[in-house]
Amino acid sequence: MKIAEKKALKRESIIQTALQLFSRNGFHKTTIPDIAAKLQMSVGNLYNYFSSKDILAQEIIKYTSEALGKKIRVVNMTDVSAQEKIYQIVSVYFTMAKEKPEMIEYFLRVYLSNREVFSDGCEGIVCVSGFITEIMIFFDESVSSGELRNQDFFSAFGLFMGYLGGMVFLKGEEVLPHDIEYYIDDISRNIYNALKA
Amino acid sequence: MMVTKPRLLWLQSITCNGNTHSFLNHPDLFSILDHFEIVHHPALEGSYTFNDVIEGIVPCDVLILEGSFTQKGFLKGGVEVSSLIETYANKAQHIISAGTCATFGGIFKQKDPENISGFCFDLEEQTSRYEMYRSKLISLPGCPMHPKWMSYVLLMIANKKKIAIDNLHRPVELYGYTVHTGCTRNEYFEWKIDVKNFGLKEGCLFYENGCQGPYTRGSCNKILWNDTSSKTRVGTPCFGCTEPNYPQESLFRTKTNMGIPAKMPLGVPKRAYLTLTGVTKSFKIKRFTERLMEYDK
Amino acid sequence: MKSLKIKQLIEKIEGEAELDFTFNEGKIEDVRINFGFYRGIEEILQGKDPRDALVITPRVCGICNHAHLLAAVRAIENGYENAGVKIELTSKAKDIREFTLACELIQNHIKWLYLTLLPQIETYLDCKSEENYAMKATYLSSTITKALAIFAGQWPHSSYAVPGGVTCDPTYLDVMQAQSLVDESVTFFEQVVTGLSLDEYLAIDMCADFHRIGGDFGKLLHLIGSNGMTEIGKSHDRFIVFGESILSKPGKSIVTTVSRVDSTFVHETAQMGTVAKAVTYKNKLYEVGPLARGMVAKTPIVKNLHKRYKDSLLTRVFARIHEIATLLAHTKRLLQNLDLNELSCTLDRKSILNDFEGTGIVEAARGSLIHKSSVKNGLIEQYEIITPTQWNLSHGNKEEQGIAIKAMVGSQNIEEATFIFRTFDVCSVCTTQ
Repeated sequence: MKIAEKKALKRESIIQTALQLFSRNGFHKTTIPDIAAKLQMSVGNLYNYFSSKDILAQEIIKYTSEALGKKIRVVNMTDVSAQEKIYQIVSVYFTMAKEKPEMIEYFLRVYLSNREVFSDGCEGIVCVSGFITEIMIFFDESVSSGELRNQDFFSAFGLFMGYLGGMVFLKGEEVLPHDIEYYIDDISRNIYNALKA
Repeated sequence: MMVTKPRLLWLQSITCNGNTHSFLNHPDLFSILDHFEIVHHPALEGSYTFNDVIEGIVPCDVLILEGSFTQKGFLKGGVEVSSLIETYANKAQHIISAGTCATFGGIFKQKDPENISGFCFDLEEQTSRYEMYRSKLISLPGCPMHPKWMSYVLLMIANKKKIAIDNLHRPVELYGYTVHTGCTRNEYFEWKIDVKNFGLKEGCLFYENGCQGPYTRGSCNKILWNDTSSKTRVGTPCFGCTEPNYPQESLFRTKTNMGIPAKMPLGVPKRAYLTLTGVTKSFKIKRFTERLMEYDK
Repeated sequence: MKSLKIKQLIEKIEGEAELDFTFNEGKIEDVRINFGFYRGIEEILQGKDPRDALVITPRVCGICNHAHLLAAVRAIENGYENAGVKIELTSKAKDIREFTLACELIQNHIKWLYLTLLPQIETYLDCKSEENYAMKATYLSSTITKALAIFAGQWPHSSYAVPGGVTCDPTYLDVMQAQSLVDESVTFFEQVVTGLSLDEYLAIDMCADFHRIGGDFGKLLHLIGSNGMTEIGKSHDRFIVFGESILSKPGKSIVTTVSRVDSTFVHETAQMGTVAKAVTYKNKLYEVGPLARGMVAKTPIVKNLHKRYKDSLLTRVFARIHEIATLLAHTKRLLQNLDLNELSCTLDRKSILNDFEGTGIVEAARGSLIHKSSVKNGLIEQYEIITPTQWNLSHGNKEEQGIAIKAMVGSQNIEEATFIFRTFDVCSVCTTQ
């Protein structure tokens, strides 16, 4: 294995470990030495990969956004109706919340809750564009095909993602009586009914 | 010994004369025309009368066509204009379709879409005449065409040079660019800053005001109009007047799907565009929120 | 009594027309004017966004496209006003619109002088000079349209006037450049067209002083005067102006009385045998154009000429060329007074009305141009365009012959009659929009 490939793998493992620790223990309560210890590497070496905790935090949000974006992109590429795509996007999101809860938790509990960490380098949607671009593509194509009603992007986006985020938050708070997958059908239908042409 | 010049005939069909008047604005008009013998022109004096043209007796090496084409129903001096055009198109070594009407059908096509078209193209489709005339055809779409686009073609012909063209027979040196190229509002396009209203020099017209510059072929912002300006430079959106499907609907409004422009800059995939847009829109650059210049300071 | 019919194809009138002359005892008794092809701009506009008229209607005509743009924008603005939305243009926007329109008129008149009148009169009188009149025509017309394009982006076919103002946001760099182009045009007018300074020319208010006019205009006046053409080409001596401009206020002039007009009395009718529609005001025919503007405005030199020659070819020709001088002086003033701090457009682009009816009137090169737009549910339901040439070239009605026809009647030869016809600055495409 070449050195560059080794380094890339190491980098990814740092991101995944930090992601878990940040999501579970919170951004401020997690230190670089905690992460290094978990990875059994030296603090100095970790700094070779990420020069600060803030930068590491920013890289993580890009990483999770890309990961989610990739899955939605697969949905966008399939030749199905907008209604079916909504169902699939909701499924992707809730499945991820169940199987890799740290991905969504990170977004809700670190990214949205510690804006000062992201103000320099993750302005606006810079670090989450991998995900938002795919949602834009979905909206654009569905309006263009006449399935969804044309409106301002954010009024549609807020309805869609605010809803999903809220559900995952409730799941995290353990107040949902059912498994999150139980809600996929109804929520997909609600979103479709709200946005359809 | 007298050297015979190529004989130039400018023939009009269903038109507003906009291309005629556009060409009359050319600053070097007479030195360009001096390479040719004008046998007939709608405004300038020629060596033959229009009656001669109708009789089919006029010699013609270069035929300039202005106006949309209809096979039947438009007579001049009792003769179908279509048959006049075909007579001289057969004689000519070069056919230049001047303007969008003659090239693709243009505005006047909308009156009778079944029967009115360009001479060799109907929108983007080849007409039945295409095969017969393809070897001598040059397309100069534009509503109107720019005088310097015409002079380029005429001078290339006079100098016996081959003109490189694309699949719609447009010279690539003129239509290889988009109207966006050279627009003075480019910085605002790069940073996705919309013009706030009409009548402002700051801001891009692509997001709300209907500008088709990024996906319209033409060199309007490279070879300026009247040697001076262009639509987008004076805050008017580009209406895509050089394109085969001109004119489209709602020309002062950008068609958007949930705020996302429905048509992308030429050749740019939507995903690439949106990725870039999301990033640039995330930054608030102070300079772009201010006026470029103020007088009361 | 032998009646003879002769068909003549007239070219270089922004297209062509066929004139069918009826001769009786060696004199023209009647003329039928037939234009070629109806292009249907009004129908094309149906079902479109009302603002699309700002792009589509200029394509009625390659030589007076800018007047169509301004009529179209005024029709929308008037419609908004009728629907209760107040539109207050800044004086900057008003002046820029007035400036660009004036440039188009100058362009038109100079082309008419050099591409039509001088070559045609020399042909008619068989005194062809070696002059390259076309070069003079295009030098001045391209200079003044360059000044126009500084504000409007391009000529022909700009769409820079939008409801509430203009799209341009000029700097003094632009204004200075435009001023210099106007100065260049003035110099040309002085040295080539009249041989007088603009002030000296504008001071002429009696035809007794015509001998002072030199240049190509002087030459034209001399050709008309010395060939017995001063009295020919008289028509009904009735004039009408609907638009307001520096050239004239709205009004109508019959013999010497000027009175008010109301554009709601304008009536358009189809005519047999031609695709051009005829227009009347309270069922009467009126002449429109520079002569009408001069008569309604009581421009001293036009009135003085009229007193002596009535509405003859000479008065008509003079009135048109005279407008070049008036407009050049006016364009200079307009530029000097521009206040660039004012807004270019006062109406927010999002203020869109979906139901309105409005009328836009503009004094175009050939006379009053009227656009009427009727909009329902955000789309044009009906659009009506009445062009100046429709007034001047109508066939007339049972009571009387059309304006241009009457002017030709009585002439003894076709060459003279077609020259008279051309003094109306005929526009084929405008007539058959």
